Amino acid sequence: MSGICPEWEKIDPSEYKGIWVYMQVERDGIHEASLQMLSIARMLAEKKKTHVAGVLIGYNVKKYAKEPIYHGADEVYVVDDKRLEQYYAKVYAHVLVELAKRYKPEAILVGATMKGREFAPYVANSLRTGITADCTSFDVDPNTGDIVQIRPPFGAWMLAHIKTPNRRPVMSTARPNVFNVPPRDEKRKGKVIIEKIDELPDPGIKLIKRIPIERKEEIPIEKAEILVSGGKGLGSKEGFKILEELAKEIGGTISGSRKAVDAGWIPHEKQVGQTGKTVKPSIYFAIGISGAAQHIFGIREAKRVVCINIDPDAPIFENADYGIIGDYKKVVPALVEVIRKLRKRAT
Amino acid sequence: MGLDIIVGIKWVPNTTSVNIDEKTGTLIRTGVPSIINPHDMDALELALKMKDRYGGTVTVITMAPPHAKMGLEHAIGMGADKAILISDKVFAGADTLATSYTLAKTIEKIGRYDLIVMGQETIDSSTAHIGAQLASWLNIPYVYYVIEAEYLRSSHKLKVKRLMEDAYEIYEVNLPALISAAMHSQHPRRVSLKNKLRTKLENPIEWWSNGVLKLNPNCIGLKGSPTIVKKIEFMPKVERKREICPEKDPVKAAEWLVRKLMDEGLLKL
Repeated sequence: MSGICPEWEKIDPSEYKGIWVYMQVERDGIHEASLQMLSIARMLAEKKKTHVAGVLIGYNVKKYAKEPIYHGADEVYVVDDKRLEQYYAKVYAHVLVELAKRYKPEAILVGATMKGREFAPYVANSLRTGITADCTSFDVDPNTGDIVQIRPPFGAWMLAHIKTPNRRPVMSTARPNVFNVPPRDEKRKGKVIIEKIDELPDPGIKLIKRIPIERKEEIPIEKAEILVSGGKGLGSKEGFKILEELAKEIGGTISGSRKAVDAGWIPHEKQVGQTGKTVKPSIYFAIGISGAAQHIFGIREAKRVVCINIDPDAPIFENADYGIIGDYKKVVPALVEVIRKLRKRAT
Repeated sequence: MGLDIIVGIKWVPNTTSVNIDEKTGTLIRTGVPSIINPHDMDALELALKMKDRYGGTVTVITMAPPHAKMGLEHAIGMGADKAILISDKVFAGADTLATSYTLAKTIEKIGRYDLIVMGQETIDSSTAHIGAQLASWLNIPYVYYVIEAEYLRSSHKLKVKRLMEDAYEIYEVNLPALISAAMHSQHPRRVSLKNKLRTKLENPIEWWSNGVLKLNPNCIGLKGSPTIVKKIEFMPKVERKREICPEKDPVKAAEWLVRKLMDEGLLKL
């Protein structure tokens, strides 16, 4: 059978122009992950000789309309509506879908935050287009002009180059903190386009209560300069106390391997690796971490990797700059001692 | 009346045990066992817990090659009532749009349900797409990252709690709906011998090919997939210094390391 799925509307890809970035708004303004997408959008737009637009959806969000422009957008679409005061994925998705139908962008980029990952596939599905998750880089095919979305699938050794050749818009989410926010320039000019959506769907859910969590003012691991990371080799949750001593001494942040998370020793948000976070510290301490490929993937961008492991055959030694073979329960306190002594001598 | 729950699971290669051939740079797939995606075990446990508490049924569905039957047997062993293996060569090569379409049509054919529970994401491709896409095809409410769910029988609604980066959120959800269970939020139960016997005696696993579903070939498999993998490349290995400390004594080893890091200006006093 030839032809396309009858569930899909026929489209003409050549009618679709411009790179859109969805701007997730939180209590304190636009989410950094959304602004980071502007650097990808700018790069794609230069290569494709097209424009970049930000999309702001919510209530009392008009005040942020200039921000995407200062960070590289040429225009910003704003839907500011009392009915959008509370974020519901299904309702916000409907708004973005309606805008996309009106203006036909070639691509829509969404930061892969928790909300972004919940919301973007609904948008893509409603438009009957493809979506590629958690991209780590992008390119434009010089021959066809297609946007190439690059992501690591199926283990951590490969990069898949994915295209959406016949459907529009091309939709992608990209990992937060892989791309930098383009520098802010208040002299940049752009157009603000106010839009209205008449009918909104019923989300079918209602927020009853929100209980903010008092998170300690910790540096998220993807932004930490020094990471002290523990794995299964620590043997127990208490092992992390020894690591914390070192972290405190050198201004480091605690993280861990998937096995440490699975064992319940540290929370998932501190997991380094393919199914966790990509980190880029200047020093990464891998302590009691054997060094599975998925883990090594997450520390590709670390400047120096230090490992402490009792097993000299652990693959981590192949993937570290400086390795110490030994019991972390002895080596880590020794490190703390040595640094303290040197500090005393220096003062 | 209880809740009729559908749980979607994925049969995935156990990526933690996949190795790479150092010489050829290719994946060694032979002998790599497949497992139920671990994050789907959270979904299954959440569903089974609700069945224990409120009554009803749990039906597990998966789109996979025939050997995924093992995974479905495991799910029955844990306490699911019934399972459907959606398996046909024409479904192969599906991206998330085509996969979610096939699953949505399967669910429509099942007919009656109150709730669909999915895992947060898979360990092999980690897209987290299917839940939202299913909710879109079926036009039902959906909530991701659920850690607790309670059935409000009088209003036939669900009360769910989810954990976001900075807050817990509690929602009331109209049924039927789809929720995804937050990863690591449940303690999946073991297979019981009694339930395991059911897989042998009662034949609770059905096989649905496209002969059963009768979906348009343009909407499924590779043809129903807007995204195309153009190229797979191996990532260049990051070259590290691989210096191993010659010292056995912990203090001397520590001094060696501190010296190295200070010389590079990475560690400051």
